[in-house]
Amino acid sequence: MKDRAFRLGCDIGGTFTDFVLVNDETGTFSIYKCLTTPADPSDAVETGIRGLAEQTPGFLPDVAEIIHGTTLVINAIIERKGARTGLITTKGFKDVLELGREIRYDAYDIFAEYPKPLVPRSLRFEVTERIASDGRVLQPLDADEVKQVVDELLKAGVDSVAISLINSYENPEHEERVKAMVTDLAPELSVSASYEVLPQIREYERTCTTATNAYVKPITVKYLEKLYSRLQSIGFDGKLFIMLSSGSITTVATACEFPVRIIESGPTAAVIASQHYGRMFSIKDIFCFDMGGTTAKSCLIQKGEAGLVSTFEVGRVQRFKKGSGLPIQVPVVDLMEIGAGGGSIARISKMGLLQVGPESAGADPGPVAYDLGGEDPTVTDADLILGYLDPDYFLGGTMPLNLEKARTAIEVKIAKPLDTTVTEAAHGIHDLINETMAAAAKTHIAEKGGNPSSITVAAFGGAGPVHAYGLARKIGAPRLMVPPLAGVGSALGFFTAPIAFDLVRSHRESLDDADFGQIEKLFSELEREASAILEQSGQTDGIAFARSIEMRFVGQGAETNLPIANKDFSEWKKHEIRQLFDETYQRLYGRTYPDTRVEFITFRLRAGLPERPFRIPRLSATAGTLEDCIKGQRDAYSLVQRKYIPFTVVDRLKLFSGARIDGPAIIEEKESTIVVGEDAKASVDDFGFVWITFDKSVGT
Amino acid sequence: MQQKFDPITLEILWRRLISIVDEADASVARTAFSSLLRDAHDYTCMFTDSRGNELVQGTFCTPGQAGAMALGVKKIIRAFPYEEYKPGDVVIVNDPWLLAGHLNDVCVMSPIFYKDRIVAFTACVFHHSDIGGRVASDNREVHEEGLFIPPLKLYTAGVPNEALMNMIRWNVRTPEEVIGDIRSQVASNHVCAQKVVEMLSDEGLDTLDDLAAEIIDRTETSMRRAISKIPDGRYPYKGVIEGAGLRDDITIALTVDVKGSDIHVDFDGTSPQVKWGVNVVYNFTYAYVFMAVKSAFDPDIPINEGAIRPVKMTAPEGSVVNCTFPAAVAARMQVGHFMTEMVFRALAPAVPDRIIAGSGGTPAQTNILYGQRHDGKPWFTMIIRGGGMGAGNSMDGHHCAIFPANGANTPVEILESDTPLIVEERALLPDSGGVGRKRGGLGRKMVIRVPNDELAPPVPVTIAVQAGRFRYPPEGLFGGGNGAAARFLKNHAPADPSGLTFADPGDRVAFYSAGGGGYGDPFERDPEEVLEDVKNGYVTRDKAREDYGVVILPDTLAVDEAATAACRGKK
Repeated sequence: MKDRAFRLGCDIGGTFTDFVLVNDETGTFSIYKCLTTPADPSDAVETGIRGLAEQTPGFLPDVAEIIHGTTLVINAIIERKGARTGLITTKGFKDVLELGREIRYDAYDIFAEYPKPLVPRSLRFEVTERIASDGRVLQPLDADEVKQVVDELLKAGVDSVAISLINSYENPEHEERVKAMVTDLAPELSVSASYEVLPQIREYERTCTTATNAYVKPITVKYLEKLYSRLQSIGFDGKLFIMLSSGSITTVATACEFPVRIIESGPTAAVIASQHYGRMFSIKDIFCFDMGGTTAKSCLIQKGEAGLVSTFEVGRVQRFKKGSGLPIQVPVVDLMEIGAGGGSIARISKMGLLQVGPESAGADPGPVAYDLGGEDPTVTDADLILGYLDPDYFLGGTMPLNLEKARTAIEVKIAKPLDTTVTEAAHGIHDLINETMAAAAKTHIAEKGGNPSSITVAAFGGAGPVHAYGLARKIGAPRLMVPPLAGVGSALGFFTAPIAFDLVRSHRESLDDADFGQIEKLFSELEREASAILEQSGQTDGIAFARSIEMRFVGQGAETNLPIANKDFSEWKKHEIRQLFDETYQRLYGRTYPDTRVEFITFRLRAGLPERPFRIPRLSATAGTLEDCIKGQRDAYSLVQRKYIPFTVVDRLKLFSGARIDGPAIIEEKESTIVVGEDAKASVDDFGFVWITFDKSVGT
Repeated sequence: MQQKFDPITLEILWRRLISIVDEADASVARTAFSSLLRDAHDYTCMFTDSRGNELVQGTFCTPGQAGAMALGVKKIIRAFPYEEYKPGDVVIVNDPWLLAGHLNDVCVMSPIFYKDRIVAFTACVFHHSDIGGRVASDNREVHEEGLFIPPLKLYTAGVPNEALMNMIRWNVRTPEEVIGDIRSQVASNHVCAQKVVEMLSDEGLDTLDDLAAEIIDRTETSMRRAISKIPDGRYPYKGVIEGAGLRDDITIALTVDVKGSDIHVDFDGTSPQVKWGVNVVYNFTYAYVFMAVKSAFDPDIPINEGAIRPVKMTAPEGSVVNCTFPAAVAARMQVGHFMTEMVFRALAPAVPDRIIAGSGGTPAQTNILYGQRHDGKPWFTMIIRGGGMGAGNSMDGHHCAIFPANGANTPVEILESDTPLIVEERALLPDSGGVGRKRGGLGRKMVIRVPNDELAPPVPVTIAVQAGRFRYPPEGLFGGGNGAAARFLKNHAPADPSGLTFADPGDRVAFYSAGGGGYGDPFERDPEEVLEDVKNGYVTRDKAREDYGVVILPDTLAVDEAATAACRGKK
């Protein structure tokens, strides 16, 4: 495989499918962008590969691997287009999925809507059996009933089955038997068992995660198998890897088994790319900022590592209201997503205040300036009025923008009601969306113990480089970085993501009573399981493990995560573990209570193969002059002086290594536009990254 | 001179204030001990300006605590001379008359200092499942109900009051949990204070007061605008709440007086306070009256002092909705939670689209359970159960919610690992939703068994029920039917929900919460919606025909159009 030169990254998004082809021998890469084909996403993949072949003829047989990210799974959940799914659960508990946690996510909204369960009540079946909370069998499994239930599931025409029995996280024996029987009696059914998907306490969250896995499993399998055979049919015989929500990549086989783990497959790539840049330039804290049409996603990367969280929500009924979606508990990069994008709509609230987002005009009808029927002023409209966007060079000029319509919309809907000018209103919109993102960013950064005054903001996405300058000013970040191909640059993240997999097991035991030999056994089992998954990739050498334990005071409701050294667990002394806990707790919550007993709850393991090398190509050495790069001048709004001033307009494609541009400047490329205020300076490095630093001597 | 904020800056700062209190709120889930807090979220965080005017409260709040805090924290602050507060002071109090109406709701409050001056007060109320005392709703005086803590310093300038801690420790059944949760309260206020100071420093502000004044005024304006849309008039209503067991029913008489942008609710004619634990203090009654006004007319804006200004309430002193010391108050939600529904009832003729029918989660169905494990180790827990929500003009009632209070259930797996109990069933109850053009939400049942194997407890399990709707089910509106009534069974026979119940190994207790009331004529319900309900098992086929006049073919599960037309025509 080593002799193959190419790797291909392919990211299927809601609107566009992005491709990046890299030649690892020469370090060159080429990109392609085409419309996503929702009916059969593999159509766009084939189109893209053919498009790339025009630039690099006959490359496909030389591709060692294709790394793929997709929004297929999340869209299937949001649009409710998954499989007809049944649930087998413990007698007495078929409504767990519907009762949820019963909390009203908006205390004062009596008409709040709640997400419907993915498995309707008529497809939820119960079997007689019972495991106690300590793992004892209270009631043996009734095998005859399982047979009847399988019959009924088949009669009901389900394609996929979730199995989630009470307390199975402590003893999976009954789930294993039910799974074996279903597989035996109805081999055509797709099966997901909770002890494999999420062996963790709390029946609603575990059942919901398992049911979601079951719901998307058949379409994922069908899609990935089709994609793989289609790729083979056009000459690809390398390996296909899939991006996980956790930021690592995995084999098709594992993605097919646990599709619930690829839900955030797409947005993760920008984070992984930033991780790589962080290591490449030895930057301690990078704030990855990816702003598209509807949302902005961001993530603080510390010492080249993005944080992972173990729970998130999908399919929120009210998009940005916590608690209005289905809880999914699998490892996912700690992304913060807020409703702030180019399409975010500006309006006047009931209290007479300007509000921007979270509602978005999306791509259809889109901002007023798109002239596709949109009537609500958006962030893009404001950016246009402020002069940051060129009406004749949006998407490289392929989509002319209507400045007059944008101006009228902002005048009528925002400026007049607020009794202000169009300019002030547009500035208000731009500034407020920046502030919304900055407020969220500050909280996110603070929660992770970062300090805004020492971070570098990395901008991605169509709107990211337009707003990154204003955002960086607001959070007080001294430096801003725009990687090459920022518009599709997130796809570069595919090449650096490690092949890795995370496993978790719950087992509650007090520190005093714990048998460390047993815990070592548990960890070794996890290691074996994870190794088997990684070995599917064809690589067996160099698997590294990282262990962590989750502990809490006896009786506490949530756990504190403690990463621990990867040595035989029985070699640990109890007081060492205790000390580790107390130190961590004190750091997080101010004080600890050494006299109160602590207990183990969950054991976590990450198994990973070594990082793959990837080099960004250097710019060609031919030095140019700045004059060659300048397209002209245009008036744009200064956030410092609060008025229009002339900005120098620069063509990014012509920029050379070592180029220096003093603000005010606008650096244009096809997919995006970089704004540099007069209090900032930009420079270009050998790799084509644009670095922007603030010059404190100019205003504030 | 008062600093002015332009509309854009104001919105930005306001959001930041909310995110601060939400961060404090989130820390509780990570540090709390009792499942009532960490899993069921029975707590509320807030902070005020320097004078004690409520500025923001947590997004995930319990309206009873939140509304009561808006009135009460101001008074607690005055329990100590203002100029004597020092950085690091922590005040603790659970006086029901100052706060949320029963001893279990413990408030921990701290001043926030910035540049040597008080800029704010941060406070949180946690519902402690255990506060000592006799755990039941049939106590006669508050003294029987547990430990009564007047406003006291838990920390003075950062130094803990160990004597007070010890005093609390010895007056509760589960000291580790209670002390752990009080520590969690201190930590939550700490998080809030830290973030407020950070914000002031980031924004170059010396005080929150100018910002608070602006926010409070804008909120008041918004609330007034919403109220002024209600047609002026006097809207009376008289409702009855069942007395538990053999006790007399309680009459709630109220008049909602709407004049311009002011709303005044008066309780003249309401029953006097009673000799059992359902008496409600003024603050708590107010909280659920406010909940009604807020949820019906302006649910979106964040709550602060400004939101409560246009809503006035009066109630005769010594009445069950404005009780006087030393009335028993532990189960005050059994009456207090009804206030929202009663105000809705009064306003129903004026604003039929803005309100909903009676809900099975009114009052919240709570149980306190405690005993010993097989090895004698004590355990203690409290659970909250929802019921079906009432239907509205355009929406079926949600199945199972705690309304108008709020909170979550305790997962079965958590309950079983915290106690020796086995949960045999937790399921929706078919046909329990009130019939109507829009159907009430379903109630649910929960069956708990005391083990009789090797883990059988050596003493009976004690169970206290604080609930309602056993005799008077949630009512429908505008032709909609009532939801099914609540039930409490021990070994399949009806048991008394008014006092303590003891369950031996092998005993089963079952709690059925009520369904929500329906809205509008059930014969006008879209037959397709009835069919969906039958397919989902929310409504049985027989009831579809009987109550909705919709005939569904058993084999094909399709609506028999002709038979349905005939059936509906007969009415």
